[in-house]
Amino acid sequence: ALGAEGAPRSGGGAAGWGLRSGAGAAPENEYDLLVIGGGSGGLACAKEAAQFGRKVAVMDYVEPSPQGTSWGLGGTCVNVGCIPKKLMHQAALLGSALKDAQHYGWNISQPVHHTWSVMAQGVQNYVKSLNWGHRVQLQEKKVKYFNIKGSFSDPHTVCGLTKAGKETVVTADNIVIATGGRPKYPMDVAGALEYGITSDDLFWLKESPGKTLVVGASYVSLECAGFLTGIGLDTTVMMRSVPLRGFDQQMASLVTEHMESYGTKFLKRCFPTKVEKLKSNRLQVTWKNADLDTEETDSFDTVMWAVGRAPDTKTLNLETVGVKTNSETGKIIVDASEATSVPHIYAVGDITEGRPELTPTAIAAGKLLAQRLFGQSSELMDYDNVPTTVFAPLEYGCVGLSEEAAVQRYGSDNIEVYHAFYKPLEFTVAERDATQCYMKMVCLREREQRILGLHFIGPNAGEVIQGFALGIKCGATYPQMMKTVGIHPTCAEEVTKLHITKRSGLDATVTGC
Amino acid sequence: MAQRLALHRLLSLPARGSLVSQGRAFGTSAGRRSTFNVQDGSDFQDRVVNSPKPVVVDFHAQWCGPCKILGPRLEKLVSKLEGKVLMAKVDIDDHTDLAIEYEVSAVPTVLAMKNGDVVDKFVGIKDEDQLEAFLKKLIGA
Repeated sequence: ALGAEGAPRSGGGAAGWGLRSGAGAAPENEYDLLVIGGGSGGLACAKEAAQFGRKVAVMDYVEPSPQGTSWGLGGTCVNVGCIPKKLMHQAALLGSALKDAQHYGWNISQPVHHTWSVMAQGVQNYVKSLNWGHRVQLQEKKVKYFNIKGSFSDPHTVCGLTKAGKETVVTADNIVIATGGRPKYPMDVAGALEYGITSDDLFWLKESPGKTLVVGASYVSLECAGFLTGIGLDTTVMMRSVPLRGFDQQMASLVTEHMESYGTKFLKRCFPTKVEKLKSNRLQVTWKNADLDTEETDSFDTVMWAVGRAPDTKTLNLETVGVKTNSETGKIIVDASEATSVPHIYAVGDITEGRPELTPTAIAAGKLLAQRLFGQSSELMDYDNVPTTVFAPLEYGCVGLSEEAAVQRYGSDNIEVYHAFYKPLEFTVAERDATQCYMKMVCLREREQRILGLHFIGPNAGEVIQGFALGIKCGATYPQMMKTVGIHPTCAEEVTKLHITKRSGLDATVTGC
Repeated sequence: MAQRLALHRLLSLPARGSLVSQGRAFGTSAGRRSTFNVQDGSDFQDRVVNSPKPVVVDFHAQWCGPCKILGPRLEKLVSKLEGKVLMAKVDIDDHTDLAIEYEVSAVPTVLAMKNGDVVDKFVGIKDEDQLEAFLKKLIGA
């Protein structure tokens, strides 16, 4: 029997009419779990819950970007984040490798040219195969998929419209919000929304972005500007303040220093005031230079905003059900078990306040949540010592505390920083500049000298740091690291040989053999 | 009926050379008529499910290498049958729901459909002999 309000029956294959009661009695919900958001966290949670034989549904919907870009199932990482980013970063690295190749004896006519559309098609095709893969996985695990934009009508009911305009209502005992975030547009710059693009659009461009201005100091900005430079485009980064806020600042400076020597132009301590379209279809950008107190201008083919990401909560109708968000960031407030302020409503991934905006943490949190809800587990997600990497042209990988954070927590007298400037063997014959190839290990000074943080700039930084993250998780100490024999010849072995302290003031340049 | 028997004999001719040359004479125009790209769900209903003739449905994707080989190979053989079998091409990125509905998980997947039912199926690339046998079975049965 239909409830008092009469849940509307949806059409087509979306069998989503749940029974809603009037006042009083607990509603009989159609699903054990509804996940809103089909990205890294959402899909991991849904698939894990389905393993326990539960009735699970996923709602995923991509609101097209202001420029009209849209994509399939899989979330930010798959479609407009990690995956296309790393592939385009690889395209740029291959360009450098082609230059190096000559020194190693290869006959390659210089200069080498890059065709955007060939790279873009390859990347976009791969992403589409991942969208498909996710659909098939949901189907195989018997997770119901709705391509609708859901919003709460009550704590156990979410409704939305299909693309065809049919209303769908889904009820569930437990609901997980995993809608992630979207790039922000600067609100105080005329023409920003009309003429600028974001990372949502960059990876789906069919034609080359040409001469590009990337505004922002985030890793999104630096990574994108990095590969655009690498494939031969005239690229400029505009930063208002410091690069990579939140990361170790010494390492952040080395990253940007390398990018400058690599060919990326930097407009430091500048912020844009307006963007106008010229008759030639180019974009005229005007900005203020805070240091010189001047106003400057230049024209670009593309302007990309990388000024931060905002949680995707606007259309969820969170106020109706009372899910509390952080007033400043807009992100959903959760406790250590990923629970929101409303019973049976949880949140994972980029949408949650105080969590790293990373795919692996979202996936792990999503899986553990499903295990706690349906698998009698009590294990909580451990957000400590999460390793990460900035895939700038010279990669920066790190795990644990930055030097500043360690100093703040323990005091500079209680920490020891071991560091080294090194030269990757592969750079020698290729006559490549290794000025910014550097690493440092921040340790407690007393007793067992536990390692608090490890920072590495160099080729394959992500691959290097991944293994050491295990050691740090296990509470590795400086003496243990010194007992670890290095693999030769590698860059990673230099970590096991770190012995020069910042405190000593000695020259930190180390040589190979 | 006589037409179908004649075709039967045509198909069982050992000399493939003659088959090809026979096919090519009619090939182009028949090919154009007998292969089409599915536009949407209702198009699939009309032209595949409700088709009076048997239909091979080729589920493919832009990012699928083997699909680019199988597609033309199958199309060529279908066109030689001069309209006895039709071929519907479905791009699974454009028509994901339809592909999922027909339990496609990998591409290329080819379904043989007759009177709205799936009577045969294969996944992955096949050579011309295998495809001919597949088509022969569809028309013959």
